[in-house]
Amino acid sequence: MVKNAFIFLILIGVAMILVNLFAGFTGNVDLGQIANHYVANGPAEVGSANIVTAVVVTYRGFDTLGEVTILFLSAAIVGFFLKIENTDNTERNLKYTSEILNTASQVLVPIMILFGVYVFINGHLSPGGGFQGGAIIASGLVLMFIAQPKKEIGHKLINIIESISGVGFVLMGLAGVLFAGGFLDNNVIGLGKFGTLFSAGAIPIIYIFVGLKVGSELTGIALSLKENQNEA
Amino acid sequence: MVGPIYIIAISLGTAFSLGFFKKANRNISFGLMFFAMAFVTFISGQWLYAFLSHQQETIQIFTAGFKPPFSISLQMGFHEAVFLTMINVLGLLSAIYLFDHLKEKGANMMMVFMLLFMGLNVVVMTRDIFNLFVFLEISSITLVGLIILEKKQDAISSGFKYLIASGIISQILLIGIIAAYYYGGSLFINDMVDSNLLFVKGGSVAVFLILIAVVLELKPFPANGWALDVYQSATPGIGAIVSGAVATTSLFILYKLLPIGGDAWLLPIGITGVISFLGSNFLGINQKNANRILGYSSIGQVGLLMIIMSLSKDLGDKFEFVFFSILISHYLAKAGLFWISGIINKDEIGQWNIIKNKPGLIVLTGVFMLTLLGLPPFPSFYGKWELIMNLAHSGNFTWIAIILLGSFFEAIYLLRWFGKTLMNNENSEELIVKFHKIFPAVISSFLILMFSFLTARWSGLMSVKYFIPFAIALLLFALDFLPVFIKNIMAIATVSWYSYVLIYQTYIPENDILRIIFGFIFLIGAILLLFPGFTFKGKRRGFYPLVILMFSGLAGLIEARTTFQFFFAWEMMTLASYLLIIRGKNAKKTSFSYILFSMAGAFMMFIGFGLAYFETGSISLNALADVLIYANWVYILVAVGFLVKIASLGVHIWLPDSYTEADDDVTPMISSILVKSGVFGLIILMLSMSLKNAASSNIPYILGWIGALSALIGNMLAIYQEDVKKLVAYSSIGIMGYILFGLSMMSHLGWLTAISYSIVHFLYKALLFLAVAGIIYRTKTRNIYEMGGLIKRMPLSFISVLIGIITLAGMPPLVGFAGKWMFYNAVILKGWYFQGAIVFFSGIVAFLYCFKLIHNIFLGPIKDNHRKLKETSVWWLIPQFVLIIGIMIISVYPKIILEPIGLYLSMYFPGEGLVWAGTTASTSLGYWDATQIMMVFAGMFGVIFIILFLMSRKVQVVEQFNIVFQAERPERPETTHYAHNMYAPYNKALGFLAAPFITNSWEFIYESFHAIGDQIRKFYTGNGQTYALHIVMYVVAFYLFINGGF
Amino acid sequence: MMEKLNIQNIGLTVGILVILVGLWGLLTQKNLIKIVIGFALFDTGTHILMVSIGYIKYRTAPILDEAVDIRNAAKLVVDPIPQALVLTAIVIGLGITALMLSYVLKMYQNKKSLEINNYKDLKW
Repeated sequence: MVKNAFIFLILIGVAMILVNLFAGFTGNVDLGQIANHYVANGPAEVGSANIVTAVVVTYRGFDTLGEVTILFLSAAIVGFFLKIENTDNTERNLKYTSEILNTASQVLVPIMILFGVYVFINGHLSPGGGFQGGAIIASGLVLMFIAQPKKEIGHKLINIIESISGVGFVLMGLAGVLFAGGFLDNNVIGLGKFGTLFSAGAIPIIYIFVGLKVGSELTGIALSLKENQNEA
Repeated sequence: MVGPIYIIAISLGTAFSLGFFKKANRNISFGLMFFAMAFVTFISGQWLYAFLSHQQETIQIFTAGFKPPFSISLQMGFHEAVFLTMINVLGLLSAIYLFDHLKEKGANMMMVFMLLFMGLNVVVMTRDIFNLFVFLEISSITLVGLIILEKKQDAISSGFKYLIASGIISQILLIGIIAAYYYGGSLFINDMVDSNLLFVKGGSVAVFLILIAVVLELKPFPANGWALDVYQSATPGIGAIVSGAVATTSLFILYKLLPIGGDAWLLPIGITGVISFLGSNFLGINQKNANRILGYSSIGQVGLLMIIMSLSKDLGDKFEFVFFSILISHYLAKAGLFWISGIINKDEIGQWNIIKNKPGLIVLTGVFMLTLLGLPPFPSFYGKWELIMNLAHSGNFTWIAIILLGSFFEAIYLLRWFGKTLMNNENSEELIVKFHKIFPAVISSFLILMFSFLTARWSGLMSVKYFIPFAIALLLFALDFLPVFIKNIMAIATVSWYSYVLIYQTYIPENDILRIIFGFIFLIGAILLLFPGFTFKGKRRGFYPLVILMFSGLAGLIEARTTFQFFFAWEMMTLASYLLIIRGKNAKKTSFSYILFSMAGAFMMFIGFGLAYFETGSISLNALADVLIYANWVYILVAVGFLVKIASLGVHIWLPDSYTEADDDVTPMISSILVKSGVFGLIILMLSMSLKNAASSNIPYILGWIGALSALIGNMLAIYQEDVKKLVAYSSIGIMGYILFGLSMMSHLGWLTAISYSIVHFLYKALLFLAVAGIIYRTKTRNIYEMGGLIKRMPLSFISVLIGIITLAGMPPLVGFAGKWMFYNAVILKGWYFQGAIVFFSGIVAFLYCFKLIHNIFLGPIKDNHRKLKETSVWWLIPQFVLIIGIMIISVYPKIILEPIGLYLSMYFPGEGLVWAGTTASTSLGYWDATQIMMVFAGMFGVIFIILFLMSRKVQVVEQFNIVFQAERPERPETTHYAHNMYAPYNKALGFLAAPFITNSWEFIYESFHAIGDQIRKFYTGNGQTYALHIVMYVVAFYLFINGGF
Repeated sequence: MMEKLNIQNIGLTVGILVILVGLWGLLTQKNLIKIVIGFALFDTGTHILMVSIGYIKYRTAPILDEAVDIRNAAKLVVDPIPQALVLTAIVIGLGITALMLSYVLKMYQNKKSLEINNYKDLKW
């Protein structure tokens, strides 16, 4: 109890620091210099209608590469960590799921995957992108795991999709070095007509890779967790 | 050149494509990974080469084809290239080291391993703060993954602690970044440095959050329990990475981001460093787990580097040199030790003696530990020198004291550990060393040696000739497989060549009598004392390189013209002698106290030199004479270093056991030669005092008292010893007391006495120890009570001991008397009657143990098992008789040494000296003619000898054993000796003087250290939540400290 | 008073509160899962802060579709940078939370306990 009181005092200290941190906060009234550049010149330089996508994939594309790497690493570590080392040990005790979930999943899963693909292909035009699309795809697959716990999906396929899309992303980045202004420059295949599906240069391609990669990585994590499940 | 962007592209591409090979051959995966990492290392190395070899300019790499701040940019400059090369080389070596682990665990772990280094590379290069955050996360996630490379329970829970801790830290960083973006409008680090973030309300808090997160990444004490657990529980190959690559990178982040905080942040960073440096090293003293000690030491070193960073302004253009020499030493040595720890695979340092039979591993361990300690010739030595001297130059003595105190704590546990690795090993467990595990450590030690040479060159303090001894030592080390006979010849040849060059070519032409004398003692003495080496069988691994280093260290002292050269030689000599002593069978504990006292003394000397530099602005040894304002401080501090070496009262406790437990031919080397380095140092120091302000200073007076008491106590302790080597060892304390007393009189006669005593002490102490060692060589025992009656079996040794003790006791006709005569003259002229009386009294005490030495060993009945004993080996006798001849010559013609010394001294002490008329020396108090005395004595001796010889026919020979209890087995073997406990009555009367209260008080201090440390470290509860709380508390406390309130 | 009650300030306040609640959970709860939840809250609080900082009153999302006049876009949309950053931060937080949970799972499998006090094998 004394300890909790002490922690409370410390947290008051943290609160004071955070309050001080925003002591000078007045709320923006206008875009800053960099944001202004993105919004004003983004359409011309990058060709993406979604400025956030322009920032994520191109201006700060290097961050995104790191971000994908982090997910990739999490999936790899979780996969390694939770690998079932002795499979023949115990018969896993899995219950059957309800009829409703089963039926609904058969309808929903393909739609969800399709929607996920839509979201990442249109990432440069509308809200969304590779991460969101990938997450939707993974949600669909997770739904499938829940509905059909006995269904086995190999890690192998997931790994291969992951590797192909990862290598593809890096190669697109390198193409930027070789054919355009720098690593991850999207201006390698022409920007296309602003606002259409085939525009914004390499962004849709990169987002396809990201989407597939994120989808497979999240699925991989979920799969590893599922395989560790003993009672459901 | 290959652009730095390919570092990222290749690493990531390879890591992603390893997924294709998941189930396929793991050798292919490993091969790919290794190839990619090698290529990345090549890229960074090639940039480093470009920066070093020609004026390569710093380049910026823009991603996405836009310039910053609109896109993320990377920077490749000299500093980046250095850090990248360090990180990638370590990555490559770690990959080799972890080869079997990675192969066993498969492609997933290989990806993780590779991407750790990719992350660190980007963190070093990036100029965008959010990008830095992202890749920092990559490196902490990969690290968490690698912690569980071996899925041990404690590794898993420490991985969780690490996740929580690094999660909190990165959130703090993220909040700071986003607020800094709001206030500064940019994520580009260069913009952030230029912006006025610090002056905006709230902006300074954002800077605070960013910098505190970076500080926390450096695992500052005490908010670092999570990191220590990782060090302890992860496989040591990972420890090497954390300490070598991750800590290095974190330092670079601090270096990169510190400008955002401006100068106001330098002091807080320095204070953080101090707390880390002192705290971790202090708690390290109490640790027993090898990897955890390395963790503590690593955090301590990072603390030191933070201190250096915060003092960059004071260090000026030396900053880079200091920082990199210490960083690189730490990086290579710590990784090496982790790797060795992995090979040994024992948690407790007490079990490290498993490497006892692996000389290669011992050498590697030694190199790494001594590198961490900053001893010569390793790179950190130069770094530390420049650091201390430049701090001294700007008067930062508080910092100096802190740095040396922390270094001393570190020395305590590293050296204790080193001693433990050399402990005798009863356990016959065989250690299997795989090639790929030892290879990285070997490379690392080679790199250390290479950097030793390079830093020495870059420092500009050393000329190439100082590397000759190291080259010879290395050569001897390489030839260690040769039999001892050949190596002994080589060693003698080397020292002879050295003495020819030094004495004959340099000092005799310069007519520098002081250096000629000590050159003779150090080097001619060395040649003589190497002769008994011929009696040793086998290889004596490691002995000869160390002997060469020790003697060249001694020679270096004479050669030194600057305080740097002096300190270098001093440390080298100390180090080599420590390693020589530790070779003795039971010398682990005592060599530990020897090196601790020596290091403490050396640090004091270091501060003293720094203070002199502060005042005079010169590192010339002669400049010591120009010190006026801080004269007392300089002289006291420097003198302490020398007093330790001559084992003056209070700091003498290392000596008796060290002398006793060292190898039998090492003991004469250290007792007759090595201690003279302290005398030489004192002479140099006090000569510079004499020039200016001896009269006004109380130091000589205090030193005089120390000398007198050392003489008394040393001699008192000697008379009760039953161990013959210990007896002679204690007598050394006494004689060194005389010399100190003589010097501290600061008069012509006093110095004349002291210097001639130095020569004479060298002669008879070497003689006595050689004789004693020769006897031990035959009897195989050091206990006096197991000897007796050896006069008939070993008549030549008897003559040696007789001559030795006559000289020692100061009896006429030998030269010891001359010393005594001058001594009394000096005391009377000086007027130090009371101290003089003490010294006089201790002379009588000295007579007692001299008598014991000859009486109990050579006279009386012989032991049964000694009846067939032969005279000792000729190799022990040759140097003895050379020394006897030396004693005889200067006994008959003391003028040959006394007159030139007197002439030399009159330059410094114009007071009354000896007046020579023919062979007669006189002072105002009387005269003395050694040659005449010798002739008279020879005549008297001849007459008595003839009479005794004639009477000898009437002597009745006493039967053997007639004084031993008939058919009775004595309870204690000592009682079988006919003169056992002969000084019991004196012990009753004066034994209180010999009470070990000084030893006890030092032990009390040492124990208190342990007890305090044991209490403090209790706050590392092992609970991950508590560690998280520590981090939050650290942040709040730091905020309060910086802002003085909320 | 009402001046202050705009969306940014509400966002900031909520963010700070969520951070504090998360930290409280992280530091006081003894259950490993609850500690991870505490961390996730901490993470989310940070994200709320990030988004609030980028917001500009009366403006719309930085997507240049029919709703936004492209020539005058800079006057119509909110700051895209914090949004891009928060996307990255969310994904990173997700990865770390997943890792934490898998560690908790493994710890539980080994020791059959979710009590953090039972994991003090290493100390001093």
